[in-house]
Amino acid sequence: MKNIGTKLAAVAFLALAAMPAATYAGRGGSAAAIEAAVASTSTDAIIAEVERAEYLLCADCIQTLTSLTEDSRFAVREVAAWWFARRPMLKDMLAGQFLDDLQTGDTTKVRNAADFLGRTRTLTALPQLRAAIHRSDLGTEARLALVRAAGFMAHTGGNEVLTTAMADPDAGVRAQAVVAWRDMLGQKTAQPVVALLGDRDANVRAQAAGVAGGMIEQSARGMLETLVIQDPDSVVRRNAAWALGQLGNGASRAVLQQAAGDQSGLVRGVAKAALAGLH
Amino acid sequence: MKHLIKSIAIGAALFTLGGIGCGGGGSGGEDTGPLGNVESLIILQRPKRNDTGDIFQYTSYVAGARIVQLSPPTAAGKLTTICCDKAGPEYAKIDIQSYDLSFDAKSIVFAGKLSDNQTYGLFLLQLADGSVTQIATDPQRDYVSPIFLPGDRVMFTSNAVVEAGAPQHRDEYERGTTIQLGRVNIDGTDLELGPRNLSHRTAPNLASDGRVVFTQWDHLGPENSGHLMFVNQDMQELREGYGKEGTGASNSTLKAREISPGRYVAIATARNRTLNAGALIDIRLGTVQNDNGVVSAPLNQSEANATYHQLTPDVPMDNSPSADTVGRYYDAFPLNAKDKPDLLVSWADGPVESGVLAAAGLSANFGVYLYDSAHQQRHPILDDPAMWDIFARPLQTRTAPNIVGSAQDPKLAGQTLIGSLNVYTSTLHTFNPGEIFGVRVMEGFSSEEGFPEMFGTTEFEGHANLGVARVQADGSWSAKIPANVPVHLQTVDIFGMSLFNEPVWFSGRPGEARLCGGCHESRTATTNVTPGILDTFATGAAQLLGNTPRAQRLQPAPTSSNAIVGVSWGVLPGGKGAALVQPIFDAHCIGCHNGVPGPANPSYTITDPTGAMAPVTWTFDLTGGPLPANMSVAAGGGAFSKSYFTMAGPNMESIQRNGLMISGDFKVYMNPEDARGSLVIKKLNPKQMFPAPSATRAFATAAHLVEQGQADLSAQEFYTLILAADMGVNFYSRENNPGLSIY
Repeated sequence: MKNIGTKLAAVAFLALAAMPAATYAGRGGSAAAIEAAVASTSTDAIIAEVERAEYLLCADCIQTLTSLTEDSRFAVREVAAWWFARRPMLKDMLAGQFLDDLQTGDTTKVRNAADFLGRTRTLTALPQLRAAIHRSDLGTEARLALVRAAGFMAHTGGNEVLTTAMADPDAGVRAQAVVAWRDMLGQKTAQPVVALLGDRDANVRAQAAGVAGGMIEQSARGMLETLVIQDPDSVVRRNAAWALGQLGNGASRAVLQQAAGDQSGLVRGVAKAALAGLH
Repeated sequence: MKHLIKSIAIGAALFTLGGIGCGGGGSGGEDTGPLGNVESLIILQRPKRNDTGDIFQYTSYVAGARIVQLSPPTAAGKLTTICCDKAGPEYAKIDIQSYDLSFDAKSIVFAGKLSDNQTYGLFLLQLADGSVTQIATDPQRDYVSPIFLPGDRVMFTSNAVVEAGAPQHRDEYERGTTIQLGRVNIDGTDLELGPRNLSHRTAPNLASDGRVVFTQWDHLGPENSGHLMFVNQDMQELREGYGKEGTGASNSTLKAREISPGRYVAIATARNRTLNAGALIDIRLGTVQNDNGVVSAPLNQSEANATYHQLTPDVPMDNSPSADTVGRYYDAFPLNAKDKPDLLVSWADGPVESGVLAAAGLSANFGVYLYDSAHQQRHPILDDPAMWDIFARPLQTRTAPNIVGSAQDPKLAGQTLIGSLNVYTSTLHTFNPGEIFGVRVMEGFSSEEGFPEMFGTTEFEGHANLGVARVQADGSWSAKIPANVPVHLQTVDIFGMSLFNEPVWFSGRPGEARLCGGCHESRTATTNVTPGILDTFATGAAQLLGNTPRAQRLQPAPTSSNAIVGVSWGVLPGGKGAALVQPIFDAHCIGCHNGVPGPANPSYTITDPTGAMAPVTWTFDLTGGPLPANMSVAAGGGAFSKSYFTMAGPNMESIQRNGLMISGDFKVYMNPEDARGSLVIKKLNPKQMFPAPSATRAFATAAHLVEQGQADLSAQEFYTLILAADMGVNFYSRENNPGLSIY
């Protein structure tokens, strides 16, 4: 279990004394309230109390919040990381410990570390994240968290994490990596995602179509034209129709016209709108 | 499947008593009540939940929502699911966030999420046959809160971003991606996204004059609240509606719906923990008039003239838990425009507060009621304990307002034009004639650009100085700025220091021209200017990076004062990024101000009277290193520097709220948005900056460096420190953005 230690008292004292003025939100709250929420086991209660303690100068809260960074529930880990992110010095103290876990920790430790480092946007952890995604001994939870971290950081230094995860045996990890690719700051191309248009999982194909359209990846047009009329999943066909509208190539007119008569209402309307976007 | 519906026999009885009819008109002058001419209600039922604590929460998903019709609108009425049980298997797990009824009452547009791994999209339901088609939107972005606009359009809010390649803003708590306004044709073509606020815009509703009223979260430093705004249907001409400058009934005003021209019913609540619910208030924006019992306020609408009535005086308007029998209201639909109107409402009893409910393992139970505001009585209509019964409204046609839009100037080439006819005209500040040199325009952004959660300890957003537009002799000014980005303004003097600060962000669309009367001029008076062409049009608008791409709106190494865009305080670990402030201290200050206690470096001590923590002493230090080892562990860095902490200081509200005591020589040296009032600026005593540097000093006191026999700061150094203060005393700017560094 992470432990910042009693020396933190002085650190926290002054560090937290530099907290900004709270106007309406983030007011109130106490260590006791957070502990009571934790005891209730309610995720929503914990989130509510941690948010309320956004500006709280509370050395007694620190160990409780530290423990929450290792909670089994992502939503709890996320709000705890957010709380520390508002306190840069405390965040850095924890980040150092979590960095070690990325290299040597088990699935759970890597999961917790990735979620903390990602949510606090600790960009200096990118090398360790890139290394961790190549570990062969990690479970799905950890790999998903690594992708999540890279996505939240949104730094193209994390691209390797995503491209590696796009070949993951778990469809959820592949889908998450595909989605994250689009929103990396300064991302230039969706080329690595194009191959996922042929993924065996429908959700992965659907997300890949969304990314290809959102990033106007013309090299995906051929596969999208096949998906829009042949994929068995209506969400995939819908996303492919939308993507073709974004690409805007007149060569897609015939397939979109066919898709405009799709049996699914999800596809028909989107295909008709996409036709209007063709050059 | 049977639905458990709480017994509402009382409601049924009330429908046959007390003038609340069962539908259809009365005869012989009989009063059939506010629902007398309503044949059926449309209601949204969502599985109950607890994760919508803050008023901008839009991603909550629980499968099983439905749109139902209650006909007649009584307990004995028939409840029919109209969406989406017959729409197909794709809709089996749908959640529906909100909906709107078309003007001809033949279709419904709703925001739906089909499964956990999809986003909220827009759907069109035809009431005649129950068919549903999806309106084409980005399948990886959320589209919520749709409303019909005249001309077969739909307005919505979305986390899609108008600027290609740019990330969407994150809200001021950095926990949510902001939503902005947009519109699309109902056939899915011609989707447009509007200009962005730095935080959320939500809950749009159409007014009878064709404008759209919505809630905008205003966060800029200490300003942190949700206010009503108006905009045209083309998302131009944003205007304040209600609540700014402390005139609101509560921190947030939400889900406003027109009762009559100039009059709105809305939810008054806190930003968070209240499940989007609160008290009901009746807002009258203008001069109140009563025409045969129809109360409206169409004339002289302004925040200065606005008033409100509490329709539910017992309901808390903050985020404290509500009491039993008091509860909170989720939404309201006016049935008439009496002075005390009758409303269809959604209401939940008990402590409607997310923390309390979650700790008890409970959820709020919103049901539909007819609210008699004259007697403050609720008459139940529908309450399914497993569901939130919300957004009830009569299934009736309504008159579509005119299509309201504004001109766009193609000569602006994608920029936005802003300015004032006479900047000296103001209701918020009295300017001395001639004291304003220009208007500084600053762009805002948040951590989505790769920053850590906080730009500094002052809790201001990121700022980029787009430049200063000179005020002409007649008080006019104008500038071409980047479209779609949030900006705020400061009037500045010849020293470059802010005279008055606009505390909110605003933005304009490409080609939009927004000329204000003054600097927050009276909203009901006419701004008079000398006949003839304004001086600013004769000289031409200042070019303030209007065509400069976002990625280039930074300047790591400005060679002149006018070239400064962002003011980065210090370099990043490893020497990456640019620092504009620390080099000034290094060159001029650290020889004396180095953290060694003494006359040049006063100290103060923070003490906890309870003794729970040992006292901590801080000594004035303008060096650039991280806080010392006994105060932080520098694993990777990331904390703000000694000089930053010295200048920005601890926050007195935090000190007071936590019962701490400060002893010794404590001061805060740099005030956000207030260079003129900042001790360090006064001490250094800047020289004239505009229109050209001169030896004239801002203050009558001696300049500190000159007094010490040192070389004075250059004009650029003075202006750097002034901008550092006036732009919020941030540590980070784009020039030292960790997200731009390559690791």
